[in-house]
Amino acid sequence: MGGSAFPALLKASLKSYYRNRIAIFFSLFLPLMIMVIFGLLNLGGNNTTENVGIVDQAHNDASKQVIDNLGKVSVLKVQQGDEGPLKAKLQKGDLALVVILPKDLGAVGAPGAQAPARIPVFGNAAKPQDTEIARSIVQQFFDQQSFAIAKIQPPLQMAYQDVQGKNQTYTDFLVPGIIALSIMQTGIFSVAFAFVQQKQNGVLRRLMATPMRVSEFLAAQVSTRLIMAAVQVVILLVVGLALFHFHLVGNVLELMVVAVIGSAIFIAMGFAISGYAKDEQVVPAIANIIVLPMMFLSGIFFGRDNMPGWLHAVSNFLPLTYVTDAIRTVSLDGSHLWDIKADLLGMVLWLVIATAVAVRLFRWQPV
Amino acid sequence: MIEISAVRQFPVTGALDASYAQGLAIKVEDLRKTYGEVVAVDGISFSVREHEIFGILGPNGAGKTTTVEILEGLRPADSGKAMVAGVDVLRYPTRVKSLIGVQLQSANFWDNLRLTEIIDVFAAIYGRRVDAMAILTKVDLRDKAKAYTKHLSGGQKQRFSIATALVNEPRVIFLDEPTTGLDPQARRNLWELVRSLREEGATVVMTTHYLEEAEVLCDRVAIMDEGRIVTLDTPDALIERLLAKGFRRKKAEREANLEDVFIDLTGKDLRED
Repeated sequence: MGGSAFPALLKASLKSYYRNRIAIFFSLFLPLMIMVIFGLLNLGGNNTTENVGIVDQAHNDASKQVIDNLGKVSVLKVQQGDEGPLKAKLQKGDLALVVILPKDLGAVGAPGAQAPARIPVFGNAAKPQDTEIARSIVQQFFDQQSFAIAKIQPPLQMAYQDVQGKNQTYTDFLVPGIIALSIMQTGIFSVAFAFVQQKQNGVLRRLMATPMRVSEFLAAQVSTRLIMAAVQVVILLVVGLALFHFHLVGNVLELMVVAVIGSAIFIAMGFAISGYAKDEQVVPAIANIIVLPMMFLSGIFFGRDNMPGWLHAVSNFLPLTYVTDAIRTVSLDGSHLWDIKADLLGMVLWLVIATAVAVRLFRWQPV
Repeated sequence: MIEISAVRQFPVTGALDASYAQGLAIKVEDLRKTYGEVVAVDGISFSVREHEIFGILGPNGAGKTTTVEILEGLRPADSGKAMVAGVDVLRYPTRVKSLIGVQLQSANFWDNLRLTEIIDVFAAIYGRRVDAMAILTKVDLRDKAKAYTKHLSGGQKQRFSIATALVNEPRVIFLDEPTTGLDPQARRNLWELVRSLREEGATVVMTTHYLEEAEVLCDRVAIMDEGRIVTLDTPDALIERLLAKGFRRKKAEREANLEDVFIDLTGKDLRED
């Protein structure tokens, strides 16, 4: 007597999802937009240069040499000018630092001179990070010059080595985060909205009046979201690779495994919300209470290192943190599933919790 | 899809042998359902013959919906017996669901699927392949086959809802207030559809709040109140009985009523676009 209704239910569910412009917008275009915007803003600040203004009051060989050498420092962008306009730029935030080379630069700075040359440097307290970076670079430069003038070797020297051996940028950090974010958004919102709607308008009840197997129906609905999540991962990866030269090191299949387990957690949360929510208007409120804190605490856009200790500790246990960390580790470090077993364990625990809550709260009809 | 083993068990369930419900589409005995303190269905018994259009009437809260939902396999009963299409619905609700067709009060489906696609989903649920166009033609929705349900009028939605109830060629069709909210033309159009379903061999059980509808459409009606069936007979017999008690309307009945005027002036053609 016929086979399983699963293929037909899956086909219908996929079609229905694909035709739902709003769902597609929130699950696909929104994460894509966020990724492109944050990627272009390059909020991590890597690879940026600091603008430094130089006022040459000495106009001698010594000052020219200083300016030439400062200009060779790769992370500094040096512009020369008069004190007034440059200080104005500093106040506006266009410059991180203004260095003034005084008239007596050559005389006092020369070998055998009595007093050390005092070089006035102005910073902008409103941009402490940029100013601090520029200040330490310029300081380092002055130190080198001083040692050179004094013709001695620096007594302490740093032997720096890069252990990562990879040139990871902010977008490398961002892309896995956005993938995790989109998995969460799709799972929670697409399920919660769709099921509250189907519950409200009576489709679920109508289906209960057929001999349909509930398991087949739920399997079709869950599979639709898992397939959509996988498609999203591929699209975000492709855009990340094409637009931001994302340094993908890991195995895409392992990445998919992580994405699918992560997606399942948020799908279960979506079912729990749809069971709790009385109507569609309540869905965004409840969903955002869950989604928004995770969006900012799970290290999507920025690392979690700057968080206060207690918040950091809490954020360690968020489901999105496990998913984000797992996706990031697999894609950037090339870790294998076994290497991220702690994250996977956290994800599976959340999956069990979310599923248990969903089973308790889910209803086929309005109460 | 259908649990064959459940069918085979029937001869051994004792009371429910083949002769038990001979010629009957539905047989209910002493059916009872309570919600806490509230007695929704208070030990009712009745039968529906095959090929009958049977109406269940009554004020809100009389127990009509609970009764119908028990017969549809949507709710368990506390006690009693109920045979639907030859199957004990209290024991084998899924088996009954595969034999009946159901139209619920809410006629909504999925917004993003076309009518033919929804019919195909329902067919798959019943493990069947159907000609979706033929079913849509039957309910006069051939022109809307590629439309989405959100673009249907009230009457078209109800007819489509009935179409989804026809994919498994059901022996018994349950219609829950199928004409509520429809204009007189659409209601008459639906009556024709219900009659044609019976012509094709189905038994129709319907609830309605429109008594004139029950009068012209139903072969027999059961009137429920406070969980009990207060009377059950053909509309003619019920009216004759009332008249025999000496009942007379205060105002003499005229040969026509306002609805006749309405139909006379606006015609019987459907208005749906």
